[in-house]
Amino acid sequence: MSAWNGLLAAALLAATGSDWRVRLVDVAEQAGLTHPSIYGGLDRKRFIIETNGAGVAWIDYDNDGWVDALVLSGTRLEESSRRERSWPAGEAPTNRLYRNNHDGTFTDVTDKVGLRRTGWSSSVCVGDYDNDGWLDLFITAYGQNVLYRNRGGYFEDVTAAAGVATKGTRWGSGCTFLDYDRDGRLDLFVANYLVLDLATTPEPGEGTHCLWKGVPVNCGPKGLPTDTNLLYHNEGGGRFRDVSEASGVASVKGRYSMTATSFDADGDGWPDIYVACDSTAATLFRNNRDGTFTDVGVASGVAYSEFGNEQAGMGLAVADLDGDGRLDLFKTHFADDIPAFYRNLGGGLFEDVAMASGLGVENRYVQWGTGAADLDNDGRPDLLYATGNVYPEIEAMLPEYPHRGPKIVFRNLGDGRFEDVSTLSGPGATTPHSSRGVAFADYDNDGDLDVLVMNMNEPPSLLRNDYDGGNGWLELRLEGRVSNRSAIGATVAVTAGGRRQARPVLSQSSYYSHDDLRLHFGLGSARAAERVEVHWPNGAVDVLHDVPGGAVRTVREGESPAPAGEATTPGSARAGR
Amino acid sequence: MTATLVLVLAFAPAAPPADDATPALASARALLSQDRPREAIAALRGEDDSDPRVQLVRGVAHYHAGDAAEAVTLLGPVVDRFPEGSEERREAVQVLGLALYLAGRIADAVPWLERTREWAGSNPELLQILGTAYIQTRQADKAREVLARAFEVSPDGASAHLLAAQMMIRLQQEAMAQDELAKAIAMDPRLPHAHFLLGQLALFRGRFDEATAATRREIELNPADNVAWSQLGDVYVRQQRWDDAVAALQRSIWVSPFYSAPYILLGRAYMKKGEPGTAEAMLRRAVEYDPNNKQAHYLLGQVLQQAGRTEEARSELALAERLQGAAGR
Repeated sequence: MSAWNGLLAAALLAATGSDWRVRLVDVAEQAGLTHPSIYGGLDRKRFIIETNGAGVAWIDYDNDGWVDALVLSGTRLEESSRRERSWPAGEAPTNRLYRNNHDGTFTDVTDKVGLRRTGWSSSVCVGDYDNDGWLDLFITAYGQNVLYRNRGGYFEDVTAAAGVATKGTRWGSGCTFLDYDRDGRLDLFVANYLVLDLATTPEPGEGTHCLWKGVPVNCGPKGLPTDTNLLYHNEGGGRFRDVSEASGVASVKGRYSMTATSFDADGDGWPDIYVACDSTAATLFRNNRDGTFTDVGVASGVAYSEFGNEQAGMGLAVADLDGDGRLDLFKTHFADDIPAFYRNLGGGLFEDVAMASGLGVENRYVQWGTGAADLDNDGRPDLLYATGNVYPEIEAMLPEYPHRGPKIVFRNLGDGRFEDVSTLSGPGATTPHSSRGVAFADYDNDGDLDVLVMNMNEPPSLLRNDYDGGNGWLELRLEGRVSNRSAIGATVAVTAGGRRQARPVLSQSSYYSHDDLRLHFGLGSARAAERVEVHWPNGAVDVLHDVPGGAVRTVREGESPAPAGEATTPGSARAGR
Repeated sequence: MTATLVLVLAFAPAAPPADDATPALASARALLSQDRPREAIAALRGEDDSDPRVQLVRGVAHYHAGDAAEAVTLLGPVVDRFPEGSEERREAVQVLGLALYLAGRIADAVPWLERTREWAGSNPELLQILGTAYIQTRQADKAREVLARAFEVSPDGASAHLLAAQMMIRLQQEAMAQDELAKAIAMDPRLPHAHFLLGQLALFRGRFDEATAATRREIELNPADNVAWSQLGDVYVRQQRWDDAVAALQRSIWVSPFYSAPYILLGRAYMKKGEPGTAEAMLRRAVEYDPNNKQAHYLLGQVLQQAGRTEEARSELALAERLQGAAGR
C-alpha cells in the first residue's frame, strides 16, 4: 500500500465511526420492564387514535437519587366497532411506574403509587408545581388529561381540584410545565392534537386523506379538524387558572400540535414555548414578558423545512448541538422527510441546516422520540431517534417502509456535522420495533446515558449504554429556591477542556416524553469542569469553578452567585461563548 | 384528484333517456347535461328507489356533485340490473369505477375500470386513470401497458418504462419507479430523461453521490438540459458544495433563464456563502418568474429577516405561509 493509500484508509476509518465506543443493549426484560404498552391494533389501525402512541419518563419520584421509569400506555378498540374494548379483571392496560431497585432492576409500583389508569394516554411532563420537593406529573390523553400531585412518593389525581380538567373530550398531546411569568411557580401548557369524534371518523380508504401512496389507511390528520392549545397559570395553593385566551395561546389555530417544550429560544431570559406540529407549521410562542405570547415560528425560522415546506413534526430535542453556546432545536418528522436541525443564529433567529449537517441520509422511517444525548461523553451531544410506521398494513405492499424500524444514532463530529452510526451502536439500536417515546437518563448511575423507549404493543426497551471509552462526565441536579424548585427553564453552560456546552432543564421533549431532570455533561478527556454557569429561571446566575466530574452534583440556587460583572446578562448562557 | 375527475368525465357517456322515462328522470338527465348535479338530485326526490334507472341517475349526479361515496352506494346494487351492452350498463360501470377510485377504493375500482376498456379501450383519459390505478395497486406491467397506449408508444419499449417511471414518481411509488428506470436504461442507455429521474430518486433518498453520477450522465446526453443542471446544483447545495452548486445553476440559467428553481437554489447557496445581497437578487428573480412559489418567498423572507429588514421579511414570510398547500401526510 502506498503512503497515499494509507492516508486515505486512515481517513476513511476515522470517518466511519471506528472509534465509536457506544453499544446499546436492550435489558428491559432482565430489568423487569415487562408489561407491553397496548396501543390500538397490531396489524391494522383503523383510526388515527391507534397510531400516535405515547411517551415515557425518567423521574426520581421517591427522591432516592435513582431515576424511576414511567411507561405510558393506550388501549384498544373492539374489532368490529368503534368502542374501546373491555378487558378482563386485572388485564386492562395501564400506565406503569417501575421503581429503580439500585441494582439494574426495577419493580412495578403502579398500584402502590396510585398511577393505575386505562385509556389513550399521550404524553407526560414533569415538574414540582407546588414546590414541595416532590416531582409531580401531568399526563395528557384522549378524553381527559390528569394532574398527579406527588404526596411524598404517592400520586394523587388532583385534576379537577387544581382546575386543569378539560371540558368534554379533547385529545391532549404535548405538555410542558414552565414558569412563564417568573413568579417561582410552574405554570402549565397543554397542546391538543386534533378534534376527534370516533363515531364519525371515516374508515380507512374513505377519502383523499385516508390513502398513503395509494394504500387505504386510517384517515388524518389532514381532513380532520384542528384544535387549539391551553395555558394554565399557577395561582398558588394548588390551583391553576385557564389563561389560554388572555395569553394569546388559543389564538393560534390550524395546527396539529404534538410534542411541546419550553426553553428560552431568543435569549431574553424568559421561557418561550415550542410545539412540533404534525403536517402543519410548528409553533414558537414567544414570551412577551407580560403574560402574553405571540407565534413567531415562521419569522424565527423554526416552523418549516430549510426550503419553507410544512413538515409532519413529531418529536424534538433542545441542546447546543454545534457547540456555540446557543440552544439549537432538532425535530423529527414523517417518512419521506428528514429531521430538521434548527441552528440558533442568535437574536431569536434559526436556520434549518439538517441536510448540510449530514442528518438527511435516511428518510424511510417515521421518526419519533429523540434526544440530544452525549452518548460517548465527548462533550458533544449526539442525536438518537426512534422510528416506527403508523400504518402496519403498508409494509406488505411497500417493503421499503417497514412497520418496525431501528433507532437511528448520529454521532456529533464536532464541526457542525453528524455521522450515522446506527449500525455501530449495538443490538439495542438495530433491533426493530415500532417505537414512539424516548427518554434519557443514567439509570444505573454508571456515568453514561441510557435510553428508555416506548414500543407499540410491546414492552418498552431499556437500552443500557455499555460505553467503554474513558471520557469523563458530570451530572448536575438543580434545586431552585427563588425559582421553581425543580428548576424547569434553567440553562446550564459547562466549560470543560476548553469546550463550552449548554443544556436546558426541560419538562418535556423527545416525543411526548421526559428526560431525567439531572443534566448530563460529557467532559471528554477532562476530569473536571473548569466553569459551570447556571442561569436560573428567575434570571439569577450561579457560577461554580473547578467542579470535579464523575459524580452527580447538586447545585442550589444562590449558593454560588456570580460575582458582579462575571456572568453577563440573563440569557448569556444562551447568547454567546 | 379533482382535475382527474374533470378530465375523466369528458369521456363519460350519458345514457339517453329511455322512451319510457318519467318526466322527473328526463328532467334530471337534462340537468346533468347542464352540469347541475345537485338540482338533478333534487329533481329525483320522491322517485321510485326500486327503479334502477332512477338510482343510476342519482348515482351519476352524486358523482358529479363530488360525493363519490354516495355514488358508490347507489350504483353498486344496480349496475348488473341493466342489460349487457346497454348504454345504462356502460354508464353505470364507468361511473362506478371512477367513483370507487375517487373514494379511495382503488383496488375495488380497477375491475370496473378494466371493464370500460370493452367500449372505450382507446380513450386516453380512461387509460391514464386505469394506469394510475394500476400503479397505486402496484401492478407495474399493466400500468406500463395502458400508459403506453395512452401516450401512443410501444408498450414493450424503453420509452414505456420511462413513462411508467415518471408516473410512478408522480404517485410517490419510488421503488417501482426505480425498477422501471433500470429496465428502461438497460434497453436504451441513452434514453433521454431516464438518468435524470434516477438522479432525482437518489436525491430524494439522500444518496448524493449516486444522484450526482446519474444527473451528470443525463447532462452528458444533453448538455442543454437546464432542468438537469438545476438538479445537479440541487445536489451540490445539499452537500454544501457552494461553488460547484453556483457553477451548475449558472449553466441552468444560461440555457433557460425563465425557470425559477435554479434561482431559488442560488439564493440558498449565496445565503450560505455569506453573500446576502446576491442571495436576495436571486430570490427576487425567482419570485418574478414564479410569483406563487412558497420556497422563493420563504427564503427571501429569511434573507431579509437575517439582514434585520423585519417588515419586508414579514411580508414575504406571510406570503410563504399563505402559499402552503396540502403538504404533509
